[in-house]
Amino acid sequence: MRLTRVASPSPRVGRLAVRVGIAFAIAMAVVGLIGFIVAERWVTHRIDVSLREHAAKYLALGGGAPVTDAAVAARIEDWQRRKVLSERTYVLFGSDGRRIAGRLDIAVPPPGLSIVRFRGGGVSVQEGRALATRLPSGSLLVVVQRSQAATALRALLPQVVLAISLVASLLGIIATWLFAHVIARRLAVAQRAADAIAAGDLSRRIPTDDLDGMFAAQAEALNRMLDRMEHLVRAQRLFSSNLAHDLRSPLTRLRGTLRDGAACTVDDGRTLATTFERAERECAAIIGIFDALLRLAEIESGQHPTAVGTVALRPLMEDIADTMEPVLADRGGRVTIGRLDDACVQGDADLINQMLVNLLENVATHAPRGTRAELSATRDGDTVVVTVRDDGPGLAPEDRVRVTRPFERGAASTDRRGSGLGLAIVQAIVRFHHGHLALRDAAPGLAVEIRLPQARASV
Amino acid sequence: MQLLVVEDDPIIGEQIVAGLTRVGHAARLATTGSEAIRLLREEACDAMVLDRMLPDITGLSVIDHVRREGHATPILMLSALGSVKDRIEGLETGADDYLAKPFDMDELAARVASIARRRGGRSEGARLQVGRLHLDPSGHQAWFRDASIVLNRKQYSLLAHLMRNADRLITRSMLLEGVWGYSFAPTTNIVESNMSRLRTALIGLGCDPIETQRGAGYVLRSERCA
Repeated sequence: MRLTRVASPSPRVGRLAVRVGIAFAIAMAVVGLIGFIVAERWVTHRIDVSLREHAAKYLALGGGAPVTDAAVAARIEDWQRRKVLSERTYVLFGSDGRRIAGRLDIAVPPPGLSIVRFRGGGVSVQEGRALATRLPSGSLLVVVQRSQAATALRALLPQVVLAISLVASLLGIIATWLFAHVIARRLAVAQRAADAIAAGDLSRRIPTDDLDGMFAAQAEALNRMLDRMEHLVRAQRLFSSNLAHDLRSPLTRLRGTLRDGAACTVDDGRTLATTFERAERECAAIIGIFDALLRLAEIESGQHPTAVGTVALRPLMEDIADTMEPVLADRGGRVTIGRLDDACVQGDADLINQMLVNLLENVATHAPRGTRAELSATRDGDTVVVTVRDDGPGLAPEDRVRVTRPFERGAASTDRRGSGLGLAIVQAIVRFHHGHLALRDAAPGLAVEIRLPQARASV
Repeated sequence: MQLLVVEDDPIIGEQIVAGLTRVGHAARLATTGSEAIRLLREEACDAMVLDRMLPDITGLSVIDHVRREGHATPILMLSALGSVKDRIEGLETGADDYLAKPFDMDELAARVASIARRRGGRSEGARLQVGRLHLDPSGHQAWFRDASIVLNRKQYSLLAHLMRNADRLITRSMLLEGVWGYSFAPTTNIVESNMSRLRTALIGLGCDPIETQRGAGYVLRSERCA
């Protein structure tokens, strides 16, 4: 067996972690951005609400009557006196656009909510949210609030997003690396088992003790596959050793016969002729085994050129009975036909012939002299049951399982003639026809039951 | 008969030539496909034994060549490829019969004789009569002089096959193919057992025309049907 180098199980995490980290970072940046937008909207909304509240207070100064410019201007003056420090301020513009009250130097904003710019502290231009409300007199009351929180938020945005992304990338890479490492460690167990199997140790299985979830399920599935493979390989080895064993006997006889022949002198003409005949018989036996093997392989591998058609069982089975009756009669037995329903199967007539011939030949070669066989075919729903029943000694239950395997014979079989492949070929033919083969105790004797799917008789 | 044997294995080739010569044929040996084609151009032959796998061109292309040149020479194809599929392929290409290695020399000789004669005419539908033995297909009966006997289908086809090939050696495997249509080799004596029934039936009519050739096959002797 070829030995493969067993690779050391070093879990390779590599690019996967970096990729996942980057994906994580992008996701985090998007999340940060969304958070920022939501926060800014909320702040703006709060400011607008506050602006409306304060504007409403000034409009209500009239106490039911329309408010006057003078009342508003007085209130602004009063407010300016009281407030030393405030984010909010008030300006009153006359209908001609002249500033009547208030200290903030801004252009006249349009009525409603808007953004206004002004110089704060004389140097820097600042921004504020303004609500301009038209008074009954035609003057314009402007309430301005400097949205410092929003400004600060906006200033904070790039740093926050960058920081979040970096931290997220790092966390993502670390998390992925750890995760991948854990997975790789688990896979390495399977890899070691696979390497050991490749190196020839078919009994190795993936340990499932430390595994859970999908890893355990996967390992169990692989182990089941390995069980099946090991079984097949063992069957193959058994097949080969059985074949070798089955060939050994005729080859040994052949060699002995030839040696006997070589020892003959010229005068032993008659003896020499029989020796050669015996040698030829042994050769024929060996060739028979190979022919049967090739036939088995041909059917099992689907290489058999299939002349598949609708096969009527009644004439075919009557023909088989006619053919095999003299063979069994020569051994003191007979072939009878039992119930024979009119049934058709979709199949290869040549293969079905061989199936029945093999079964009757089994009765002829492996059952004692005088064993009788009965052929029958009965319809059962969609299937037809073809039965070859004999009244011989039958097979022990454990033999019934064994004999369909290549080169296996029943323990009580009267001789070892034949290829040892008869029932294996029958089994292959049954499988080819999508049928089912069962060996039953016919008390007395053995009943071989073959269930085949019934075909509609074509005209 | 003038025969041409095309076989690249020298030992097998010599054995075939010797075997065919022993039964009274004249055989030449070619070891390659091109040599075979050349020999056939020089002198026609009555039948050809052709190995399927040759060193230069395959046996199948030799058949193609031979047929294209207008030779109707009967061809028996020999091959180590013995599956039914290979056999059908060989027959479809134009071989008249197909024999898988390892084969029996008598088998080969019988088959060569059979295909050579088949080409000579004699239709399958010829009246089934040999001497005073004849068959009645409607009643599956065999008649000899004024006596008749009903045969079962297998015995009837067996006798018909032998009568169509009267005075020729017919091997067991030829009978399995021709009478039973089996492409497999049974392990029991199917042919012998059925043949012995047939002979018993014919002896009942006072006629015993079938001769067993030990190890090789059967011949229906026309002189014994007189």
